[in-house]
Amino acid sequence: MYELFIALRHLTSRRRQTIFSVLAVGLAVMLLVWSQAMMVGFTDEMYSKTVDRMAHVTVEPQEDEDYIHLYHKLTGDIRGIDGVVGVSPVLSGPATFEYKDKNKNVVIQGIQVDAHDSVLHINDDIVEGSFRDLEVSSNSVVVGDALAEKLDVEIGDTIDASFPEANPAALKVVGIYDSGTPLDETMAITSQSTAQGFLDVSNVVNSILVRVDDRERAQAISEEIDAMGYPASGWKETNPEIIQTLKLEGTSNAVILGLIIIIASFGIVSTLFMAVMEKTKEIGMLMAMGVPRRSIMLIFVMESGILGLLGAVLGVALGAGLAIQMGSYDYGMEVMAGITTIPFVVRLQDAVIIVLFTFLLNLIAGIYPASRASKLNPVEAIGRE
Amino acid sequence: MSDIPIIQIKNLTKIFGDGVEIKALDGVDLYIKRGEFMSIIGPSGSGKSTLLNQIGILDTPTSGTILLNGVDVTKMSDKERSRTRNKELGFIFQYHHLLPDFDALENVMIPLLISGVKSSQARKVARKVLDEVGLGDRMKHRPNQLSGGQNQRVAIARALVNKPSIVIGDEPTGNLDSKSSDSIYELLRKLNREHEQTFILVTHDEQMAAKTDRVIRLVDGKVVEDLRDGASVREI
Repeated sequence: MYELFIALRHLTSRRRQTIFSVLAVGLAVMLLVWSQAMMVGFTDEMYSKTVDRMAHVTVEPQEDEDYIHLYHKLTGDIRGIDGVVGVSPVLSGPATFEYKDKNKNVVIQGIQVDAHDSVLHINDDIVEGSFRDLEVSSNSVVVGDALAEKLDVEIGDTIDASFPEANPAALKVVGIYDSGTPLDETMAITSQSTAQGFLDVSNVVNSILVRVDDRERAQAISEEIDAMGYPASGWKETNPEIIQTLKLEGTSNAVILGLIIIIASFGIVSTLFMAVMEKTKEIGMLMAMGVPRRSIMLIFVMESGILGLLGAVLGVALGAGLAIQMGSYDYGMEVMAGITTIPFVVRLQDAVIIVLFTFLLNLIAGIYPASRASKLNPVEAIGRE
Repeated sequence: MSDIPIIQIKNLTKIFGDGVEIKALDGVDLYIKRGEFMSIIGPSGSGKSTLLNQIGILDTPTSGTILLNGVDVTKMSDKERSRTRNKELGFIFQYHHLLPDFDALENVMIPLLISGVKSSQARKVARKVLDEVGLGDRMKHRPNQLSGGQNQRVAIARALVNKPSIVIGDEPTGNLDSKSSDSIYELLRKLNREHEQTFILVTHDEQMAAKTDRVIRLVDGKVVEDLRDGASVREI
């Protein structure tokens, strides 16, 4: 492998050019790694702040029906699907809440506490009181912190609930939750039986919420439920803007940073061109000594590849180090969906892909100057003094 | 010395340029025997170097054939030409053209490495050849740390290390003072005697040419004189 021997010696002899080329690629890769860590962190945060807090699959009544009547059987069937970890039948409807001189239009949701917690982890959001009390006493309600503030109610206060065609009820506040979403101002949660009484319906629900173990499988599972005769939709259908946001951010990020690396690689190409010019006589002499054109090409492609690889490894080390050192990026304000801080997440697979991408890019970038070197005419290259 | 020609050149023509054509070689015929120590002389532009580049398979002719050990090199692929240059030919130029990033020993090792010899073995052989050219104590020096004469000796060691059957020298002493020049000539002579390699030297130096066994004179791309030991070899 004399080609590698010669390539390495060229690089160590042109020390300054080598260092600057590696640094240029390294800095570009560092930016890419750092920003990728932020992107992954943002995606994770976005999912945990949104998708992980919503029903992965929502089942609705059959066409032309207002309610799901035989929801017990359907709930059991859905629970039997592989990958389903939580199923919650929900009866919801509109209501007007009044407390003293304040009033607010809300959506009232009738739930079974355990079932609902298995889908939405509502118990994690409780800040005062308890969801459990909904089942202990009827005509009780849990409200969001923003709603409680609007109505100026506290635990123990009784709210008057009414609505046209509904049975007016007095609901005692037994808990306050904070989910960090706009729902905190518009949704009140009560027991299924209380909701049935208020909305004046029999034992029916108007939606079934489902949680799955892998959010990426939500679509497949919703199709299985569809096949049972009930329209179901996965979170990607019900919240297309989440995917849209992530895709947009991800793509523009990758394009810009990919361009930076390509620019850094152009630096290597121009360094190599200079090296080829400088070494014209040497290349001619190597040919005279019996180095075939392919090997001349290989020598210079190797040089480019080695520079790229060194730069990539340096950049990954710097970028990952910087990301880990910083830990997270604090915006100091809410950017979206309750996200104020983005953790940096460095994934091994990203590091490997970036190193490979940069290495390959530099191998390819090296081909042009290398082929120029290999096409030299040995007689002209050696020349005469 | 065997009488079988190692090089047979037949009706070799080389034309340069596509607009104004220059006939650098004009129907050259030449037989060179194994182990000959010969020189090619002639005025500037007579085609000496062009002929040498053809023998060294560094260039391709416009027409005619060159047989090296009976094989037509004009029909070889780049790979075969490269291998032949590596195994059968050694080059010494007016300027040493050593690789500046490598020390003397490494420079001499490179032709061996190219031919696939293992690094440790190459080192051993290269040491021996450097000793032979009198540079045993300068092996770790890079070209910029050696004198012109010393570099030329390294270049000679490099040209000989693969034991080529033909050594080509294009003004090998042209850049040296007369003392270094004489010692380089003596070295080449000695190597020729010891290894029975064929030496073909292009030179301006008529005095040096006169010391070789055979002198070819080129004028305008044609062989006009072919003397062996002062006597004409053939009718031109």
